[in-house]
Amino acid sequence: MKILLIEDEAELRKSIKQYLHQEGYLVESAADFVKASEKAGVYDYDCILVDITLPKGSGLDIIKQLKENHSKAGIIIISAKNSSGDKIKGLDLGADDYLAKPFDLAELNSRIKALIRRRNFDGSKSIVVNEITIIPDERQVKVNGDSINLTAKEYDLLLFFIANKNRVVSKNAIAEHLWGDDSDQMDSHDFIYVHLRNLRKKLMEKGCADYVQTIYGIGYNFKTN
Amino acid sequence: MKLLNKTIRYYALISLPLLAIACVVSYWLIKSELRDGTDESLMREYIKAKELIQSNSINQTYYLSPDSLSYIKPQANESFVSGCTDTLIYDNIEQEEISFRKLTKQHSFNGKTYLITVLKTTIEEDELLESILSTFFIIVGLLAIAFFIANWLLSKSMWKPFYETINELNRYEIKNHEEHTFPKSDTLEFNQLNETLNKLTNKIYQDYVQQKEFTENASHELQTPIAVLKANVNLLMQSPHLKEQEMGQLQSMDNTLKKISSLNKALLLLAKIENNQFIEIEQINISEVLSKAIENIQEVAEVKGLKLFTSIEPNILVKMNPTLCEVLISNFLQNSIRHNKQGGEIQVKLSTNGLIVSNSGEPLSIKPEELFVRFKKNDSSKESIGLGLAIVKGIVDLYNFSIRYSFENSMHHFELKFI
Repeated sequence: MKILLIEDEAELRKSIKQYLHQEGYLVESAADFVKASEKAGVYDYDCILVDITLPKGSGLDIIKQLKENHSKAGIIIISAKNSSGDKIKGLDLGADDYLAKPFDLAELNSRIKALIRRRNFDGSKSIVVNEITIIPDERQVKVNGDSINLTAKEYDLLLFFIANKNRVVSKNAIAEHLWGDDSDQMDSHDFIYVHLRNLRKKLMEKGCADYVQTIYGIGYNFKTN
Repeated sequence: MKLLNKTIRYYALISLPLLAIACVVSYWLIKSELRDGTDESLMREYIKAKELIQSNSINQTYYLSPDSLSYIKPQANESFVSGCTDTLIYDNIEQEEISFRKLTKQHSFNGKTYLITVLKTTIEEDELLESILSTFFIIVGLLAIAFFIANWLLSKSMWKPFYETINELNRYEIKNHEEHTFPKSDTLEFNQLNETLNKLTNKIYQDYVQQKEFTENASHELQTPIAVLKANVNLLMQSPHLKEQEMGQLQSMDNTLKKISSLNKALLLLAKIENNQFIEIEQINISEVLSKAIENIQEVAEVKGLKLFTSIEPNILVKMNPTLCEVLISNFLQNSIRHNKQGGEIQVKLSTNGLIVSNSGEPLSIKPEELFVRFKKNDSSKESIGLGLAIVKGIVDLYNFSIRYSFENSMHHFELKFI
């Protein structure tokens, strides 16, 4: 899986690269418009993360260029400019997703996974993790072949865990993933606990192993190995 | 006190005593002129009396004419005051005392001494004085009135540009800055004033724009460093050798970053609202937006044990930006949850009259008028960043909606009217 990261801030580039590398992706990066345009023109990527404000040009032009070349890469805009105008412009040009800075790396990871899954028409339509099978198109979850009924929040939580499996995911990242901007408004950690308890119960009732490890103080780790 | 009244008052203060003094002085002047005239005619009569003495021998009191009071009297050793004096004589016919001017003088002729007394009534003079004075008063009075009216009219027209300038300034709103169109005046000072005011407001506006842009730019510039910090905290969390204490520290950093991030987002949003960057306006079905927002908070309300009562009239349309509409509604609802109490209630009512969101809670510890001011928050809400209602106010102002807060029956009420 090849990812091109177009980001001018060196520190952020380094961290994202490291995180995605740990996830098993091949990550290349470009720090300005010229280099980014060059790489995007020459190589094929599965996913391109593009910042809009770049030295020497705009990330929106790179999206235009990719679309003119009929690139099949999924495009996620990562921008500090959290403006709905830019978001709409980017999505209109053909970007698949928009993530406003600052974001959680776990969130970025789950967006990339979701994007690749959606793009991967030829491949399998389900995610399999040991005894758990998820069919995202139908929002269906099976454990050892038996369907289980999950609420929307429980389903999202499970998918987020699986996208970030074997990673420590902070409670804040989960809250933001599940409730978006509303997560600012509540003691979301208690809510996570309620949903997590129900999810665990439902999974284990069907004989699923308890993969969720509580990491003291921080959050959880969905440990599958 | 109005400037006009003030000038008129000063004029009156100066001119009225002057007029009074003028009255007194002219009274005395006229009176002494008249007296001189009387005295002169007395003198003439006296001279006539002297001539009479020279041509006739007078042995007893002789009246100069039958109805006259003036007489010549051979001198007995009678005491008298020589010269002119005022005197009152009782008049039998009129039955009142009449004022007279009296000249008494001695005259010696052929070794005989005569006492000549001539009298002349001053009624006529008094009447003359009276009529002159009353004419004078009428003239002065009319003059004063004319003067005040003229002054008032003149001042009014002279100060007109000044009042127009004040009106223009009153209409001025920095958000809708336009070069002032002060009326041209032929008064140098007013033109100078207008010019200075124009310069001043232009300068203020420029500073205001810079200030606004500064907030937006600063928030923008902060996003990337926060993103870097957040990414590094995320990475550090993955380290397999963390001790419990270090995890706690990481969590605290992550929480703080989240807080900074939401603060920054809110500031940016507020700056953007104030900079009028949400241009697209659509006809929005606010009933739908509200229903959806209520769905989102239902879970939170349940966990907090809050009872939610809603009454939403369908298909209420409002013209505004869709993003801001969502922000407005969700800020209201979040506010009603955050400042509620355990087991309390929330009432949401949407009708053509507007939106009313009420929630139970403790009375405000701040003044109600400070409720919508940035970073002014109630003591009880430490978690709040203190920008939610400032954002609401920003949106309300942008669309000229109106909002009213009240606290009744232990409930906070926010009443929003879309007009």
